[in-house]
Amino acid sequence: MHTETIRQLPEYAALTRARKKIMWPLSLATIVAYFALILTIAFNPTALGNPIGAGVTSIGMVLGLGVILFCMVITGLYVYYANRVLEPLTRAIVQKAGEQS
Amino acid sequence: MKFHAPLAVLLSAMATCAWAQATSNAAINVTAVAMFLAFVVVTLGITYWAAGRTKTTSDFYAAGGGITGFQNGLAIAGDYMSAASFLGIAGLVYTSGFDGLIYAIGFLVGWPIVLVLIAEPLRNLGKYTFADVASFRLQQKPIRILAASGSLVTVIFYLIAQMVGAGKLIELLFGLPYEAAVIIVGVLMTLYVTFGGMIATTWVQLIKAILLLSGASLMAFLVMMQFGFSFENLFAEAVKVHAKANAIMAPGTLVSDPISAISLGIALMFGTAGLPHILMRFFTVKDAVQARRSVFYATGFIGYFYILTFIIGFGAIILLLKNPAYFTDGALIGGANMAAIHLSQALGGDILLGFISAVAFATILAVVSGLTLAGSSAISHDLYATLVLKGERDEKKEIRASRIATVCLGVIAVLLGIVFEKQNVAFMVGLAFCVAASANFPILLLSMYWRKLTTRGAVIGGGLGLFTAVILVVIGPTVWVDAFGFEQAIFPYKYPAIFSVSAAFIGIWFFSITDKSASAAKEQAAFDAQFVRSQTGIGAAEAAQH
Repeated sequence: MHTETIRQLPEYAALTRARKKIMWPLSLATIVAYFALILTIAFNPTALGNPIGAGVTSIGMVLGLGVILFCMVITGLYVYYANRVLEPLTRAIVQKAGEQS
Repeated sequence: MKFHAPLAVLLSAMATCAWAQATSNAAINVTAVAMFLAFVVVTLGITYWAAGRTKTTSDFYAAGGGITGFQNGLAIAGDYMSAASFLGIAGLVYTSGFDGLIYAIGFLVGWPIVLVLIAEPLRNLGKYTFADVASFRLQQKPIRILAASGSLVTVIFYLIAQMVGAGKLIELLFGLPYEAAVIIVGVLMTLYVTFGGMIATTWVQLIKAILLLSGASLMAFLVMMQFGFSFENLFAEAVKVHAKANAIMAPGTLVSDPISAISLGIALMFGTAGLPHILMRFFTVKDAVQARRSVFYATGFIGYFYILTFIIGFGAIILLLKNPAYFTDGALIGGANMAAIHLSQALGGDILLGFISAVAFATILAVVSGLTLAGSSAISHDLYATLVLKGERDEKKEIRASRIATVCLGVIAVLLGIVFEKQNVAFMVGLAFCVAASANFPILLLSMYWRKLTTRGAVIGGGLGLFTAVILVVIGPTVWVDAFGFEQAIFPYKYPAIFSVSAAFIGIWFFSITDKSASAAKEQAAFDAQFVRSQTGIGAAEAAQH
């Protein structure tokens, strides 16, 4: 099936739209979370050393481990969204492309 | 398959070494040697089995495309969790607490980017190497030469760091001479890759990942058990014992100025998405769905592993600093990188020490095998098949070329390992990430998403990124001052990624948009067809099922 025909399919437009909707927000969220931490380390390291409660555990430790967990959550979110939204659209496009070729 | 001869030579050589060792050093750790030999026997057995199944280029480079997403996720984790990161991060946590966490986070944050931007289009467009994707609508010859150069530079720097680390570790753990240790590692990885290709390499990664994750889990569990599974108790005790006291809870000297901090961040985050041995793993699964699943599992395993490493580092602070048996002249025996190894002894005696030592060794072997396979594919699939075979498809010749390339890379790795014995090679992993972020990642990303990219832009910009990265590291403090011994560095920053990555992107952009040639117009027009395939997978070769 010709590329142009696939590009005319409503499902294809929906797929690229849906992908854009998840791709950039999740990438940006990861980049912002990480560089926010890195820039704090660079410009205000002592702030990260302050304890978060009554004990010794510092804000930096909590944020650092938080970024690790955040990365896992981001990948989980993407896979969930991809399986629910992107995959059915992709399958529909592949099926239509198969019928017409 | 001529497999038995080198195998016999190797086993007898190792038996001789072990015997010579046993007679010269009574204190050898029996568990470590037994476990290590068991690992070698099992992995060579797998290699023998895999050799019988490695017939086509698809088997050799991509394990026939028959690996599941879960297996591949675990294998990616196996490829990525190096001994350098296990021992290095635990050691960094042991010396300065929070600073170790900065590296651990940096090594993880690239993964969501790989998942969201790279994994699926990569699987849909490529066959065996990331150069397949970069050259999809551009001119084959110049793009493959550039991509292969970027891959090889990354692989060689990474290999040197691993080989030197391996030699030192084995020297310390098993009492073998440094050269012998490096040669054993070189011979084993060459055997795995030459005979078993991607099938054997994948299984070595899987076994190693399971061993490393269970060993590290056990150690972290034993540490946390002593502190009632409370991070607050763990940190409180560490602050009490450590000479830097409360300072281990905050950033220290690892990143001192903003430019270095941002630069290190860029290199680690985008370098992950440009490592050739990692990118290659995405071609071992059936389709984009499995590629996506691979990254999800890999990120989970890798993140979990770094949290364990972090706990292990803190455990080492508490359990080792109180015990003078682990120190000579006030310094930890074998240096800070041995903190995790000593801790295993403190937690579980000689048996756990033996287990963790063997795991560290298996880890090194698995990582160098993955690297060697990526290097040899760049040589055979990108350089040999394009430049010598000129696109004529000849699977036998291509596999033979990759086997020869593997043996050559094995020899080079051993020689470089011996040459760099006395050097501080810690910067080389950083350099590998920097080159991957500055050359491989920009070309790959823009070839997938930017219509206006042309061959001229990719070659000039990618080349600019590659050279800037290497030159700035050489004239920077780590090489110019620490390795060459000059007084003052020409370039003041340790991490040049912010400059080299910018140079690559600006170079690619400028030389693409000013490219008005007819071939450039054709390349830009080919974007739509490529994008349809990258999004839907239509037209991607159906991978063989095993």
